[in-house]
Amino acid sequence: MTDTDTDTDTDTGAGPDTDTESVGIRIEGVRFGYPERPVLRGVDMTVRPGELTALVGLNGCGKSTLLRLAAGLLRPDEGRVLLGGDDLARLSRRATARRVALLHQSAPAVPGMTVRHLVRQGRYAARGPLGMLREGDDPVVHRALRDVGVERWADRDVDALSGGERQRVRLAMALAQDTRVLLLDEPTTYLDLHHQLDVLRTVVRLREERGLTVVMVLHDLAHAARFAERIVALRDGRVAADGAPKDVVTPGLLADVLRVAGRVGRDPEGGWPVCYPDHPLPGMEYENRIH
Amino acid sequence: MSRRFAVLTALAAVCAALELVAGRGMSPATAWDVLGGGGDATERHILLQLRLPRLLVALGAGASLAVAGLVLQSALRNPLAGPEVTGVTPGAVLGAVTATALGLAGWDSPLAVVLAACAGGCTGAALLWLLAGRGRGDPAATAVHGVLVSAVLGGLTAMVLLVEPGELGSVVQWLVGTTEGRVWQHWHLLWPWALLWGTAAWLLAGPLTLLRCGDETALAAGLPARRARTLALLCAVALTAGAVAAVGALGFVGLLVPHLAVALFGADLRVGLPGAAVVGAVVVCGADAVAQLSSRLLAAALETGGLTLPVGALTACLGAVLLLAVVRRTPDRTF
Repeated sequence: MTDTDTDTDTDTGAGPDTDTESVGIRIEGVRFGYPERPVLRGVDMTVRPGELTALVGLNGCGKSTLLRLAAGLLRPDEGRVLLGGDDLARLSRRATARRVALLHQSAPAVPGMTVRHLVRQGRYAARGPLGMLREGDDPVVHRALRDVGVERWADRDVDALSGGERQRVRLAMALAQDTRVLLLDEPTTYLDLHHQLDVLRTVVRLREERGLTVVMVLHDLAHAARFAERIVALRDGRVAADGAPKDVVTPGLLADVLRVAGRVGRDPEGGWPVCYPDHPLPGMEYENRIH
Repeated sequence: MSRRFAVLTALAAVCAALELVAGRGMSPATAWDVLGGGGDATERHILLQLRLPRLLVALGAGASLAVAGLVLQSALRNPLAGPEVTGVTPGAVLGAVTATALGLAGWDSPLAVVLAACAGGCTGAALLWLLAGRGRGDPAATAVHGVLVSAVLGGLTAMVLLVEPGELGSVVQWLVGTTEGRVWQHWHLLWPWALLWGTAAWLLAGPLTLLRCGDETALAAGLPARRARTLALLCAVALTAGAVAAVGALGFVGLLVPHLAVALFGADLRVGLPGAAVVGAVVVCGADAVAQLSSRLLAAALETGGLTLPVGALTACLGAVLLLAVVRRTPDRTF
C-alpha cells in the first residue's frame, strides 16, 4: 500500500451502499498493460465520496483504462481498486454493476429499441436475467428518464435521436443502474458546444441531487477547470498532477501533461482557471500518441 | 403488439389451411370432409398421414430457424448472421448426406437421418467453437469463422455427392430444403426438441437484448457478455440442428425472418423471439403452400405428373430479395 494521501475520510466503513451514503474510490498501486507496453505504471488515487473529478491527459496516457479498472471491467495486474471499501476483484460482474455505472464514449446503434427500453436495460444488474422477463413499470427507470429530461422521447427509437439527445438517453441508462458511483468516458465527444454543456450541466446537477461520486474523462481542459472540483492529470501511465483546478491548471500543466504551450488566466466573474492554448510542443514520441 | 400477434396467428392459420388443400389430387371440399371425419381410406391417409405431419413440420421448422436466426444475430451483433453461416446447417447437411451415401440412412428411416443431421450440425458448431477461440473471440471474428467453416463443410458435402452420385436425387432435396415426404415420426422428433431449446432461448431474452446494445454496454450494465453469448449460441445451434434435421437446409429463413420480427415487434426480445417464431412458421408454411400450388399449376401446364418444387427454392428466392432490401436500408450499421 502506497497511499500517501493524508485524508482518511475515504474509508466509508465496511457497510456497502446505503441509500444516502456516498461512496469513494480508492486506487492503490495499480499497474496494468502488456510487458512491452505498460499502460498504467503504478497509479495511486483516492476519489472522495461525492466528489466530481476530471481525468485529463493525452490520448493513450491511460485515462480510459483507469476508468475501466475503476468500473471493474478490467482487472489490475498489480494493486487494488476499492469501491466504498470493497475490493472489486472480489465482486462478480453483476455485483460490481450494482455499485458503479460506466458510460462509454460511444455505443453502437440498436435498431428498433425505444428510449424507455434502452434505459430499462440499465436495470439488468438489479434484476438479473430472469427478472428481465417481467420488467414492468419501474420507479428507478421513471426517475432516470425524468432526471435527464428524456421522458417525452420515451417511446421514440433511440436511433432516431440526435447525438446530444442520444447521449442523454445513455446517461439515463447509466443512472438506471442506481449506483452511488458514476464514471463517464469522454461524455462530450462528438457533441457541439451547446450539447457538451448540456450534458456536463446535467451531470453536475445529478451529482448534487443524488450525492453521486463522479469521475469523468475529459479532453477539454476548459470544461474540467469549469466543472470539476478536482483534476487528476495522467502522463505515461502515472499521476502527474492532482488537485483543485485553481491549483493544478497552470502553464506548466499544459506543457508537461498536454504538451501544448499556452497561457492560463482567470474567469473574470467566476474566478476559475481559463486556458489559452497556443501551439503544440515538439518532442512527442509517436508511441505516446497511440490510443 | 398483441394485435400483431393476433394478425400473424390468423395468417398462420390461413397458410396452414392453404397448405392442407394445396397438394394435388384432393379438392378443398374433400379435405374439409376428411377433417370432419368423413372421406374414404385413401383420402384419410393422404390428409392425416401425409399432409398434416408435413404441415406441422413446416410450422415447427420455420419457427425454430427464425428463433435461431434472431438469437444468432443478437448474440453476434451481425445482421447477416444466420444458421447458414454458423456451420450448423452445412454440418447437418453433410451429416445427412454422408449417412445416406454410406447406406446408414435413407428416406425410409427418418430417425437415422435426423440423428445424422444432428451429429453433423453439432460437429459444425464445435468446429466453429474451436476456430473462433472457444467463446473468447469477438462477434465479428466468430461470424467470419462461421462463413469459413460453412464453406469447408459445403465443399465436403459436394465431395461426398461426387463420390456417391447414386444418391444424388434424394439428397439434392436435402440441400435445398423440403417438406416433401415428412411424416409423423419427423414431427415427433422435432417438437420436443424445438420446444425445449425455444424455451431456453426465450429465458435468455433479457441478456440477449442487452447483448444487442454492444458488449461494452452489456458489461457495464452487469452482464457477463461472453458467458451469455455462449449460452445463446448453444440454443441457436440446437434449434438449427433440429430444424435442418427435419427439413434440410431451408435457405434464408433464419437470416431474414429475424429482420421482419424486429421490424414488427421491436428490439425487446421477450416479445421478439415468440414473434420471430410465429413469423417463421408463417413464412415456411406459406412458402410451402405456394410451392405446392405452383408445382400443381406447373405440372398441369407442362402436362408432367411428377414435378415438385421444393419449398427451400422458394424461400431462397424470396429471401434474396428481402436481403437486398435489408442491406440497402442499413448501409452503415452493424445492424
